[in-house]
Amino acid sequence: MDISGLIQTSMLAVAVAGLYAAVASGLTLEFGVTRIVNFAHGEFVMLGAFITFFLYSDYGFPFVACVAVAGTAMALLSYVVFVTFLARVLKQDEHNQFLATLGLSILIVNLAAVLWTPDARSMHPENLLPALQLGGATLPGNNLLVILISAAMYSALALFMRYTRYGIQMRMASSDIDLATLCGVNVDRVFTLSFVIGGFTAGVAGSLVALILYVHPLVGLDLVIRAFAIVALGGLGSIAGAVIGALVLSISEGFVSTFVPEGGSWGFGVAFVLIVLVLIIRPTGFFGRSIQA
Amino acid sequence: MIANRSIRALPYLLTLCTGTVLLISQDPYWIQLVLGASLLAILALSWDILSRTGQVSLGQAAFFGIGAYASALCGDLGWIVGWLMAAAVCGVTALLLGLLTLRLRQVYFTIATIALSLSFKVLILVFGTFTGGASGIAPPMIGDGNPNVQMCAVLVLVLLSILASDLFLSDRYRPAFFMIRTKPSLAAVSGIPIVRTKVLAFVVSGMLAGLAGAAYAGLYGYIVPDDVFALSWSIMPLAATILGGMDSTIGPFFGAIALKVLEGVARNYVGGVGYQIVYGVVMILCIAVLPKGLAGLLAAVREASSPRHRATGAGVTERVL
Repeated sequence: MDISGLIQTSMLAVAVAGLYAAVASGLTLEFGVTRIVNFAHGEFVMLGAFITFFLYSDYGFPFVACVAVAGTAMALLSYVVFVTFLARVLKQDEHNQFLATLGLSILIVNLAAVLWTPDARSMHPENLLPALQLGGATLPGNNLLVILISAAMYSALALFMRYTRYGIQMRMASSDIDLATLCGVNVDRVFTLSFVIGGFTAGVAGSLVALILYVHPLVGLDLVIRAFAIVALGGLGSIAGAVIGALVLSISEGFVSTFVPEGGSWGFGVAFVLIVLVLIIRPTGFFGRSIQA
Repeated sequence: MIANRSIRALPYLLTLCTGTVLLISQDPYWIQLVLGASLLAILALSWDILSRTGQVSLGQAAFFGIGAYASALCGDLGWIVGWLMAAAVCGVTALLLGLLTLRLRQVYFTIATIALSLSFKVLILVFGTFTGGASGIAPPMIGDGNPNVQMCAVLVLVLLSILASDLFLSDRYRPAFFMIRTKPSLAAVSGIPIVRTKVLAFVVSGMLAGLAGAAYAGLYGYIVPDDVFALSWSIMPLAATILGGMDSTIGPFFGAIALKVLEGVARNYVGGVGYQIVYGVVMILCIAVLPKGLAGLLAAVREASSPRHRATGAGVTERVL
């Protein structure tokens, strides 16, 4: 094993981690605030990827415009879904909430398969940034772009949660809903807002998918299962935890698939072993608070 | 109470009657239909047994696949040995995994079970020389492909699942199961052996799902990992149970039949790609409109029609606590 191979694997893994973190941060935000485990989050990512694919290849939109449209469209869809369906389910037990979002996910996946066929397609984007050379290894420009967009999105989210009025209200609702209500926080609005922001991040993550992966109806399911693993690693509800979890998962996946013979298909196996190990040692994840049912 | 008992006998009667009618009529189309609905009913009952202890699983596909492969690897020993092997292997796997996943609460448990079924598929692919890898393996056919033997074998399995489900709804187990789900701390101070009960549910559920897998393998005579470990084997039982009504025997049983009918309709209109749309629609509608499924609807209708029932409070999906 030479040093440039190691650097190459690590750099690609960091790019994939950027994508994973983009998917997982929205998921964990929605959960942290509303306590709904949104299984359909992956489907919003998938729809975002399809929007980007069609706008970029069929209508020749510039990529930045695709990202904006995909993010906005998914924010809107998330809003509609939350207000018409999920807000209603909020009153039922956690069991049913999870099953409701799972049903939504199955519906959207199959709708996409009917509309656009289950085939995988690539939008063959030209490299939007120059490739990064480091120690004899090369990171393609688009992978670099994924890292940059994801980092920008994470920073924006972190600043929003830290300093803005709504960010503070969200954190308050997430740590103690009764106290937040007593302090005059409009909990309904905060819940809706968390889904709108979650939907936006999903749309942007979808654009990133279209940039470096194949676009097909099941791509969201693949990603959301990994995102769950990441969120379990980092702690449900913790956005910083999602980034760390994404790095841990993506780097272990990358190294297993490069250095273990026939390791290419081990992705979910790695995720499973990580989840079980971490949850047995630390049931709330690295950064999670204990959440009372 | 009499009405209640007759409803509970319904799944047994229906299974026996269907078997008898089909043995006489020998209609291959209906036999295929009944076989499909039976496999789904077994899976749905196995899912519901587990969910009564609060463990929402998306890993029935793991046991389905393990069962299918365990029976296939018995090869020349015949299908009966294959089934026994499937039950044994799934039982042991479920015991070990049950102890491992026991501490995972709610969502974490569900996430772990999804990852689990995908990991087992990888294992089959990795030990390709032994398992046939991606190109699959041919398990022994049930009754050498005789449809009568096949149907009887599968219907016996359905009866077994109904029996297991009813056993866990009996006074001996029912309060413990539901109390563990709704108030684990209360269950603990009441002296309910939580670990043993949860693992018991996991083992029985895993064995039933594994037997369903073995039956599937023995019906079609050829299996590949992508098919028997497919996520849809985890999702179908869940949709069927939600449609029929959770926490009962008649719920998953009739839910499976109803879902098969709906699926047939969807295949007709949407085609082979995307017919699973029906699972999503069923789940969304049931949770939003009929949270207790068809069984809950039935109970509500009966309660409204007879005031005596309201006095005794004998609803079908009545929960402890």
